[in-house]
Amino acid sequence: MLENIKKEFSTRTLVLIPIAIAINIAIGELVVRLKLPVYLDSIGTVLVGAIAGPWAGALTGALANLIWGLFNPFAAPFFYVAAVIGFLAGLAGKRGAFDKESPRWLSVLVGAVFVFSLTMFVFAFSNASTDDTGYTTYPSMTDLLSQYAVIFAVAILIGAAIGYFLLQKGGYAGFWGLITGIIAAIISAPTAAYVFGGVTGSGTDVVVAAFRASGAGILSSVMAQGAVSDPFDKMLSFMVVWLILRSLPMRFRTQ
Amino acid sequence: MAIIELKNVSYKYPLTDSPALKNINLQVNEGEFVALIGPNGAGKSTLCYTIAGFVPHFFKGEISGTVEVAGSESSKSNLHEWVLNVGLAFQNPFNQISGAKYTVFEELAFGLENIGVPRDEMIQRVNDAMKLTGISDLADRSPYSLSGGQQQRVALTSILVMQPKVLVLDEPTSQMDPIGTREVFGVIRAMAERGMTVLMAEHKVEWIANFADRVVALHDGEILLEGTPQDVLTSDLLVEKAFGISRYTSVARKAKELGLWKGNRLPVTLEEAMDGFAR
Amino acid sequence: MNSFSMYVARDSGLHKLHPLTKGLLTLLLLVSGLTLPGNWTGYFLVLLVITPLAVWGKVFRSFLRIVWGISLPFILSVVIIQSLFWGSGTPIFEYWIFAPKVEGALFAVISVGRIILVMAGFILFAMTTRPDTLMISLKQVGVPSSLAYIIVTTLQIIPRFQSKASTILDAQRSRGLETDGNVFVRARAVVPIILPLVLGSLVEVEERAIAIEARGFNSNKKETSLIEIPDSNAQVFFRKFFVLLMVLSILARIAWQLLN
Repeated sequence: MLENIKKEFSTRTLVLIPIAIAINIAIGELVVRLKLPVYLDSIGTVLVGAIAGPWAGALTGALANLIWGLFNPFAAPFFYVAAVIGFLAGLAGKRGAFDKESPRWLSVLVGAVFVFSLTMFVFAFSNASTDDTGYTTYPSMTDLLSQYAVIFAVAILIGAAIGYFLLQKGGYAGFWGLITGIIAAIISAPTAAYVFGGVTGSGTDVVVAAFRASGAGILSSVMAQGAVSDPFDKMLSFMVVWLILRSLPMRFRTQ
Repeated sequence: MAIIELKNVSYKYPLTDSPALKNINLQVNEGEFVALIGPNGAGKSTLCYTIAGFVPHFFKGEISGTVEVAGSESSKSNLHEWVLNVGLAFQNPFNQISGAKYTVFEELAFGLENIGVPRDEMIQRVNDAMKLTGISDLADRSPYSLSGGQQQRVALTSILVMQPKVLVLDEPTSQMDPIGTREVFGVIRAMAERGMTVLMAEHKVEWIANFADRVVALHDGEILLEGTPQDVLTSDLLVEKAFGISRYTSVARKAKELGLWKGNRLPVTLEEAMDGFAR
Repeated sequence: MNSFSMYVARDSGLHKLHPLTKGLLTLLLLVSGLTLPGNWTGYFLVLLVITPLAVWGKVFRSFLRIVWGISLPFILSVVIIQSLFWGSGTPIFEYWIFAPKVEGALFAVISVGRIILVMAGFILFAMTTRPDTLMISLKQVGVPSSLAYIIVTTLQIIPRFQSKASTILDAQRSRGLETDGNVFVRARAVVPIILPLVLGSLVEVEERAIAIEARGFNSNKKETSLIEIPDSNAQVFFRKFFVLLMVLSILARIAWQLLN
């Protein structure tokens, strides 16, 4: 196995990684300049994972956060999250998620499922009730569905549209991005909660505050915030990388 | 004594159908300056990479025939050993900066650090090389702050410092402005005059004519012509394939048709042209 | 230095220290600040250890500016959110629906202490250590040189990519790309900027790889170094001492947890 890991780190990969990290930072800043509600700061990481493999992707992610941490210390402790993102991008690459075109209906499905789950999640939280002993109960899925049927229907339509227009034929990539985003949200929550008390000094703190106001504890609120923003962000990032790789001549895609 | 010898070399890049090199037979003697000309896509870069060992070790693909340089045979060697004998520089000076060093001096020492040269010898070699190529005044500058011509001279020096037996140059002045071109050719000339074996792919035919010992014309992966600059660069074959003709040659050719050319053979350089027209 | 780092060149004793000495000291401060019992350890260490070091390093003013600049948004967020959303507790004051809690504010102040410790330590280290000498010293203790290459190169090219992105943004704008307007308009501007940026960079990867291979990179030969890093026996001793203190600090924490 060690041999396989070593093979990922050819000279081409070693030259690619600094460029990928610089791309992470440049695009992350671009998105802030355009005032868009996404991060898109993992595109370089996902790119390395897709081109060079999971271990190279993991290293890129970890280093990117640590180096970015030189200027934004809040990024540094999450290096392990970025590493996992790079690793999963590599796995996605090995499964051909970035090479193949998916049928449109898959993209539509991915989008719809995503927005549906997101809506479910948000409603579960906002309708949670905490009794005096500190025990929080969440409403059941069927209750929510019947209560907010119309909203869920609209959510599914919006999700379908996102899938159709944003993901287009990159459904496989989008799907992997979604999974990666969910995992990223889960594993980053403990650090955000315990190291930073749930606060990172960025705009998403408002989201955390909103969940806290509903009575949820720090960890759950942070996880909720992550669940709202990370899957979408990663789904988009994977999709962008899919677009990039499709525009490359064949010989650059193989290592 | 041939320091470079290619016998029946054919090569195909991975994922391609047609061979980039077909049955190349080439010999270069020690101290010779061989110029490589040909239209784009003829295989000049591929031939350069082959002599430098990157074909096939870096690019993979299918190769047949034997490639021998300075006593080593390509198929029995690996890239890390090969680069010690053959230095390679190419068009884009910016991509040849390692990015890992903050000053030109350190950049030049980069290669020596990689191959494990002791510190004192490193410093000596870098100083000597800088003097040779005239860039000692750039020693403390950041490589990224230099002009194109300066960067290319640094790139050449960083190869020279490794003391290769053969220097392979793939169109080193293509991206230079006229000043940069002059600076770079100046360095290459200095190298050649010290006895370095040089193989250079180049479009600037007038300079080649003044300076190369031999010219090899490549077309469609095969060697079309080989010989002295005068023989090759005035050949009708080049007109037929439409490349490698200097302005002076074209003008004189036209003059000859009109009966105005007094010289015996067609000129390649400015001097020859002036000579021929003056008579 | 045209690279993405906080390094500021100064003629100071702190700068002259071996990178690993400074690195281990920073780690020691971090570890002890986070593990030693007591809520105010963070502040103590910052005031009593890091600040004097910053003065010694002749970077005090810039150091202060950077630490303050980076921490301020964070501090504000923490204090506001933790005091307002603390749950049950004693209110500091009550105004309309806002009732910040003392417990929340206290928790915030304690957290802030720890975070400032981590940031100040790290920032001081970055300000007084040249990235390439740090990499060389890490290589000497066994860190693979490919890793060192990646880190130093990244630092050097980040500014270049930041300006490339700006250039492409301007170029696309002048070709009619809309970047003002609602979210959808702005979102559509992203891909026409990202694609050229990334594709253009990927093309140079191959040539760069060839160029450094031509200079013996990644060749598994034993490497030497041009730059010599000054060291001393005293520093060697202190480095070992710092590691020892770190271990003791962690053990102390474990013991304290077990006893309580």
